[in-house]
Amino acid sequence: MSGLKRIATSIRHVSRRDIPALMAGLIIGGPVMATVLIGLFAGGGDIWTHIFQTALMGYVLNTVALMIITGALVLIFAVPSAYLVTYYRFPGQSLFHWALILPLAAPGYVLAISYADFLGVSGPLQSGLRELTGLSAREYWFPDIRSLIGCSFVLACCLYPYAYLTLRVAFTSQSVSTLEAAKSLGLGASARFWRVILPSARPAIVAGTALALMEAVADYGAADYLGVQTLTVGVFRAWASYGDAAAGARLAILLVSLTLFLQWAERCQRGAASFDKSAKGWRKLTPIRLHGKQALGASFFCTGLLTLGFMIPMGHLIGLALEGSGASGSLLKAFWRSVSLAGLASLGAFALSLVIAFALQAGRTSGRFAQLGALMAYAIPGAVLALGALYVQRSFNLSGGPVIALGFLVLIYISRFTAAGLGPVQAALQRAPASLTQAARSLGASRWRRFRAVEWGVIWPGAAASMLILFVEMLKELPATLLLRPFDWDTLAVRAYAYASDERLAAAALPSLAITLAGLLPVILLSRQLSKNTFEEKT
Amino acid sequence: MPFKTVFILPLLLAGLLACAPNSAPESETISIYSARHYDSDQMLYDAFTAKTRIEVRVREGKSAGLLETMKTEGEKSPADIIIAADAGSLWRFQQAGLLQPVRSDLLEATIPAVYREADGYWFGVSKRARIIAYDPTRIEPGLVKSYRAFTDASVQGEVCIRSSSNIYNLSLMAELIERWGAEEATRWAGATRAHFARPPSGGDTAQLESIAAGECAIALVNHYYWVRLATHASAEKREIAQKVALSFPSEGMRTHINVTGAGLAAHAPNPAGGRAFLEFLISPEGQALLITETKEYPILESVARPVGLEGFAPLPDPDISLSVYGRHQIQAQMIYDQVGWN
Repeated sequence: MSGLKRIATSIRHVSRRDIPALMAGLIIGGPVMATVLIGLFAGGGDIWTHIFQTALMGYVLNTVALMIITGALVLIFAVPSAYLVTYYRFPGQSLFHWALILPLAAPGYVLAISYADFLGVSGPLQSGLRELTGLSAREYWFPDIRSLIGCSFVLACCLYPYAYLTLRVAFTSQSVSTLEAAKSLGLGASARFWRVILPSARPAIVAGTALALMEAVADYGAADYLGVQTLTVGVFRAWASYGDAAAGARLAILLVSLTLFLQWAERCQRGAASFDKSAKGWRKLTPIRLHGKQALGASFFCTGLLTLGFMIPMGHLIGLALEGSGASGSLLKAFWRSVSLAGLASLGAFALSLVIAFALQAGRTSGRFAQLGALMAYAIPGAVLALGALYVQRSFNLSGGPVIALGFLVLIYISRFTAAGLGPVQAALQRAPASLTQAARSLGASRWRRFRAVEWGVIWPGAAASMLILFVEMLKELPATLLLRPFDWDTLAVRAYAYASDERLAAAALPSLAITLAGLLPVILLSRQLSKNTFEEKT
Repeated sequence: MPFKTVFILPLLLAGLLACAPNSAPESETISIYSARHYDSDQMLYDAFTAKTRIEVRVREGKSAGLLETMKTEGEKSPADIIIAADAGSLWRFQQAGLLQPVRSDLLEATIPAVYREADGYWFGVSKRARIIAYDPTRIEPGLVKSYRAFTDASVQGEVCIRSSSNIYNLSLMAELIERWGAEEATRWAGATRAHFARPPSGGDTAQLESIAAGECAIALVNHYYWVRLATHASAEKREIAQKVALSFPSEGMRTHINVTGAGLAAHAPNPAGGRAFLEFLISPEGQALLITETKEYPILESVARPVGLEGFAPLPDPDISLSVYGRHQIQAQMIYDQVGWN
């Protein structure tokens, strides 16, 4: 009852200033609402009953198991690596510091394609093993990449950078005085890690992992390619095999509820605590130099992670591309299509995340509402949102013309990914000193002027990070692009997918590498931006 | 500086987007929605343009996606031609009212009746067989003369297969339902499922690789995946094909045949151009370009087979209507779901 009362009060308090965030929420949440409504009202036919009786349990169990295993792997990958590169110096540390987020540039399905071939029964490893031992494939055990665990591994490889990034920022802003106090109390390195550093980074760990998990839940490409029957794969089956997109939409409602659960869990664990945003008397952390075995171990861990997440899959793709006929026409055109679509949509999504971040900063319910919409959209597979968009076009007779098609595609990109760009802007804004804005306000500066002259300067680093993340995410987008793009708008992802689905890996390798390449520069920029900004803004 | 950049960038990008598509082409054009993705298809379109001076615009996608897109576009759809790689998919387009009948003496005289829709809603332009691939060192050739080989107790733990939601498996099941009835088809699926060496995954090529590596001994594949391996540039791939034998089942029922087909879109802006394209597809030149890379069988027996397929016996024509693949598709997926064949 009190919840209802609270909602009623907040509705009564909606003011003119809530309008921007409400609009943003509607733009982002629109496609989600369309999906939910279609699922609720049109998704209950015979097909749904059949799916419910035969396949649903398996979909749900697989999805939950995928989340648990992927989450655990993300933690195992991200926590030690972020901790090591922030607190210690060891050979290669300055390289790992930025290079560890490189896997962010490669889409999950590209990693899946590469790993499935590399670790597959005809891949170089198993072929070599058989040649060496003279055994046949059934006479030895080899980890199966086409399995739930294999898929979790592939997803963790490309998603751990989310947790790594938030953790690196959290570790860097750890209060040095607290650490020194802990040290003077006689706590060793391991005790400091478990009892001081880790607990204070908990919100960042959970936030980063939650983001990675939402992405994992929405993944279709990798799960389908590796033969794992997740909810998202079920959504596609309902649509493609059964021709019942509405039953698929009803399955997607389960995905939305999973996100709501993740959100709720994240808020619960955070409780009253919040990020340690303004440690007073901040000093630059002095990393400790590691020696001997310890230094070797640290380098080894980071090298291993980079090898698994980036070097092996990309190296194998390069190998495949070299042996292939290389007939990949119009790659350059697809490259520009990818870049201009992702560029335009990422600016749109960035603008919305800015609006939402300001509303959240001001404690507006409208901001919370828009944020929730963005998070839900983030966990829904792009194809489901795109199907929703097609329904809307159909109902309002909005079809025809490449401009409308492009408009809807950009809208879906924005809806799907704004959540990923919101975090960095929000974090940057939280660190902005309120006193500056208040001073500007007391001097009578207009809202726009305050934003331009004061706030922008402070949040610019976070804003850049947000735009780069959005750009890279959109560059990799596949299912919505496949459905909504107008004539002659093949992106790199579309090309790669077309070849891979015809089982022509050598031809798929080139566009796959091109996506990664296009994402690489922004990712490197992003990493540098973040490492610079965590130091600069405090000094 | 960055502030201005951020707000000028969208304008630049919007400009980039705006100048990209030339929306009003001067010359005559046809628009093709194709579920095929071959580089050689571009050569096919180029050859058509060279011959007729009609420009070709293509949109590739999965057939379910193209269908959804066309439904949305409705009467405004720019599509003239739909190409799908499965008779079941073509049936779906027809059911959704997205195709229109074509009367063409040439098409009717050239394409055997069983490979085209009776009223001319779609025409098969190349064909393929879904056959049994097996390890000759472990499986007796006598066993694999029938699709029932998968239910034989001797193949326990020997079956490699791809996901049931794959259209090739759905169409095969649809034929089994038509021939044997749902109950018998369910028993077949259940018994096959009980003999899996591993959960279904990968494409047809992956199943061939698994047999060659000794992971399993018997699989269902489309013939051309084997031919592509057998004619591959890399010696390792060719070796995979050498280790795997093929059987075109003939006992109990004929080999399961499917087609790549094309039809004229219901709201085609350029029906005459579309018709010309359909006729081009069954010209010797069109046929050759259709199958050179895919390694399918030409629909015209007079056209030379692609490299690698020369030695194969002619395919027996199916003795059922290919439309059943579409008609039974939902039931086929239900049966697979029911027996737990992922």
